Amino acid sequence: MQRETVLDRWIERLSRRFAQRSSRRSLLARLGVALVGGALLPLLPVDRSGQFRRARAQAFFENAQAEDDTQCNYWRYCAMDGYLCTCCNGGVTACPPGAEPSPTSWVGSCVNPQDGNTYLIAYRDCCGKEVCGRCPCLSTEGEMPVYRPQLSNDIDWCFGARSMVYHCTGAGIVGRA
Amino acid sequence: MRSSLAVAVSILALATGVGQAQQATQAPPGQERLDVTEEWSTVTLPEASPHWIWVLDVAFDNLIASRINIFDGDSGKFLGVVHSGFVPNLLLSPDKREIYVDETYWSRGSQGDRVDVVSIYDARTLLRTGEVILPQGRALIVPKLPTAQLSPDGRFLLSFNMNPATSVSLVDIRERRYVGEIETPGCSFVYPTGPRSFSLLCPDGSFADVTYDDSGRAQIANNQPFFDAESDPVFEHAAIDVAGGRGYFLSYEGMFYEVAFENGRTRVTDRWSLTTAEEKEDGWRPGGWQLVSWHPGLRRAFVLMHRGPRWSHKQPGEEVWVVDPEANAIVDRFALEEPSISLLVTPDAEPLLATLTDTGVVGIYDPESGEHLRSIDGTGVTPFLLHAAGG
Repeated sequence: MQRETVLDRWIERLSRRFAQRSSRRSLLARLGVALVGGALLPLLPVDRSGQFRRARAQAFFENAQAEDDTQCNYWRYCAMDGYLCTCCNGGVTACPPGAEPSPTSWVGSCVNPQDGNTYLIAYRDCCGKEVCGRCPCLSTEGEMPVYRPQLSNDIDWCFGARSMVYHCTGAGIVGRA
Repeated sequence: MRSSLAVAVSILALATGVGQAQQATQAPPGQERLDVTEEWSTVTLPEASPHWIWVLDVAFDNLIASRINIFDGDSGKFLGVVHSGFVPNLLLSPDKREIYVDETYWSRGSQGDRVDVVSIYDARTLLRTGEVILPQGRALIVPKLPTAQLSPDGRFLLSFNMNPATSVSLVDIRERRYVGEIETPGCSFVYPTGPRSFSLLCPDGSFADVTYDDSGRAQIANNQPFFDAESDPVFEHAAIDVAGGRGYFLSYEGMFYEVAFENGRTRVTDRWSLTTAEEKEDGWRPGGWQLVSWHPGLRRAFVLMHRGPRWSHKQPGEEVWVVDPEANAIVDRFALEEPSISLLVTPDAEPLLATLTDTGVVGIYDPESGEHLRSIDGTGVTPFLLHAAGG
């Protein structure tokens, strides 16, 4: 039988973004993703090579913009994977009415084209409502199978929320990377 | 029969008034049915033909209410539907008598108490006949075949769990009972390898091999990595031939790994590339969702292939390549009518090849000639997986 250890509970709170798929089946972008502090290392080995993430962040940056946060190429979305909360009457750091932010988030390192600096971005899912379904951001660049969960976009990452039903995803700045 | 007559009489009474109803009850038996109404019944399916195709529709527009649509691959006829919950997995019993749906519900639609359950249906009536609650939950991922599997004899259902710590829930189907959780630290999925054994894929590119007994006691053995999980991971969907003691795994870049199952252990026996240097140059890669299927009689693996760049591993296949693992050779390839995300070869001696597009069109082909036989439209909103009974 499975017992819930302190580590397990803590890991559950380390919620990451949910992987949602669009009607076109392409999987959603997960570019340059890392877990906060690499804290899942004991259970879920994390790609910390850095090289991998930088390469993909660079590819995203070439087309990134800082004007329209309802577009997939908005600079904070370099590791985005899901329906944009900004298209669902939420915001980059706000859940739409009735949706609950997942307790924690996971992060990416994104370059702001306005100042050229790299920022640590925390992606947070909004959960507890059916899919918003607007503005899916889609990519399989760097996407890995589920047995490498930290890079797989087929997993529902509403862990720790009251309901694991996924609604949309936002992206807040945590600090300078 | 008697109750049917009573219902008919009651309806007649409502329609015509009490006085006339009294008259109707005195009429010669059967007369009012001839004049007014017909008998109703419920269709019972025959035993599943190996050519029936079960299409699992995850329904991305409404994830909490998915469905499994059943079609006759020979005629294209719609045969029935089983409604299911959040990101379900489907299993068909080896004796074709039962259907198991591994699924998740909330008590108030998308809110309320979560329940994870193996629902049991009679395969001919499609009536729900039982259930087993999964108290530790199940992995909520977009449905993939290795997320839930049966032991080869159908006695146990093995349901992959991720919370996000990983384990496998063991359900005794015969006893209708949850047995317990088999801890599988960090490793994912269920690939049956024998009567009471399965293997999993681990983040470092290795298998973990599990043997278990009827009481749920399990032992796990680790192995050395057999692929590079950083640069060229293997797909989750693989061709597994438990009876033949073999499994075949494919990588994003087209490496083909042959694995022997021996007493519950895995041993990688061969590895080679599906593509030549020239084909690689043209961008040929395996891809899609359920992208490989094995036929034990033909001893061939059928693989969806497309031309695309690196990281296009979920792009629909434009061709099917037929792999002979004994000769390490592609022995045939044919183009599909429409690019497809999933494929299935039915397990019988005169098999059909079924393919699935991302718009829900099932294509039916002759797997030996590649001839397109028919297409079945409208098999789902966002279907992902194909199943066949006895496969």
